[in-house]
Amino acid sequence: MPRLIKESKREGRVLIPTASMSDIATLLIIFFVLTTVFRKEVGLKVILPQAANTERILKSRDLANIYIDKEGRISVDDKLVDPDRIRTIFRAKYSENTALIVQIKADEQAPYGPVDKVIVALREGMRDAPQIRIVFATLPKR
Amino acid sequence: MMRLRRPMAMQEAEIPTASMADISFLLIVFFMATAVFARDKGMKLAVPPKTEETKVVKLSGKKLMKISINDQGQVFVGDQPVEVSQIPDLVRQHLAETPDAVILIRTHERAPYGRMIQVFDEVRKVPEATRVALKSIRAES
Repeated sequence: MPRLIKESKREGRVLIPTASMSDIATLLIIFFVLTTVFRKEVGLKVILPQAANTERILKSRDLANIYIDKEGRISVDDKLVDPDRIRTIFRAKYSENTALIVQIKADEQAPYGPVDKVIVALREGMRDAPQIRIVFATLPKR
Repeated sequence: MMRLRRPMAMQEAEIPTASMADISFLLIVFFMATAVFARDKGMKLAVPPKTEETKVVKLSGKKLMKISINDQGQVFVGDQPVEVSQIPDLVRQHLAETPDAVILIRTHERAPYGRMIQVFDEVRKVPEATRVALKSIRAES
């Protein structure tokens, strides 16, 4: 047995075929290009509150954001809206995607009033949903 | 015309492809280095839709644990002012007595949102607290 191994080692030089390497790399690039989702939304400038129970939200494709800033302004898809509009916007969004998750990104200094109005509008707008999934965007507490 | 053809036939044109893999990998490295992962983080909550058929369930007494936040951001459990850090113990205590109680967080319209998240976060620290309701207190003008 030791003989055999030695012989085969000496005989041929080991070559790794590198001809297909570029194909592999290109395929990888194509994969990453196709799976990349660009975020177009700019949103409002908010400082998120911190919470110990912060979880990671995995289904980010189903997320729709609502921004609420310090002054209580509400923004959806980069448009300033009032709570009444949210009802119709999210009724349309829900009919497009029934797995919709609404993420509320509100400033920690924002008054609670607009936040509550948004929740009530969502409950009225997405009335066909068995339940409305909401995420309060927070930062993990350090 | 014949002359022109000759040098063409003589040598084959080759494009060197040996460095192709290196170029591709450099591109991958560039994209990986510049990629910003949008990690969405937050606290999940499911609320029922509001329709005509939505039943209004009236709860009273021990079945309802009221946590209120006033416009100054002060927190009350029932009528008693409390510190935010006391909330988990109070909730645990209440649920030990009445296991099916609903925890209602009433927040004043002008109270800062961060305060409500703080309270909500404290309530969430109690795993038994699964029935939580959110409500707002209208500002009297």
